[in-house]
Amino acid sequence: MSISQKTAWAQLAIFGALVIAWLVLFIINGTIFYWQNNTMKMTFYWLSAAAFAGLVLMNIIASIVKNRTKSVTDERDRLIFRKASLWATGTSYTVVVALLLALAITYMNGASETVPVNFPLFIVIVGGVTLVLTQAITALIMYGRKVNYGES
Amino acid sequence: MVRARINNRIRRLRFDHNEMTQEELAGRVGCTRQTIIALEQGKYVPSIELAFKIARAFGVPLEDVFQYEE
Repeated sequence: MSISQKTAWAQLAIFGALVIAWLVLFIINGTIFYWQNNTMKMTFYWLSAAAFAGLVLMNIIASIVKNRTKSVTDERDRLIFRKASLWATGTSYTVVVALLLALAITYMNGASETVPVNFPLFIVIVGGVTLVLTQAITALIMYGRKVNYGES
Repeated sequence: MVRARINNRIRRLRFDHNEMTQEELAGRVGCTRQTIIALEQGKYVPSIELAFKIARAFGVPLEDVFQYEE
């Protein structure tokens, strides 16, 4: 398994755990924005920040390993990364636009008071998480499939 | 649309060259062992540059390593 595949698996593990944590939070509280007894009011943000910090740390470690060893990544890894990034950008963009549309429709229907004040920040975070998760999943799928450099 | 297929004889050529390991070939051409595995399994069609490097590593013309089928 190449370092790029390991990185993709780590991304999937970190952000998959984050999404599961969001679901648990939602099941317990009925919302993901606040913790019920206020002891961890910003749980959603702390969880998200921890996941993104993990991503940054992982990339720093990966770049150190890449600098120490020769040929840990090559043209195939870069090609897969580029293709996966394109898919991730498209998916993330679609998700963010859909959430913004939902927000706009809610406002147009005059139900703006039902929208939590931190919903715009939620959209940004969900967009970021979608980007990282889609990138990891697409890369892992492509490592198992036929890839043609000429089609890049 | 006619789908082209590019086959290769890398595995055969490795064995013909004193059973060269995938790691050794990867080191000679500057790619990862995973890419050599993908090439041998037909899961990756390389760039022209890498194709030439592989052919040069075996000391044979490009056509002896890669075959183009339409």
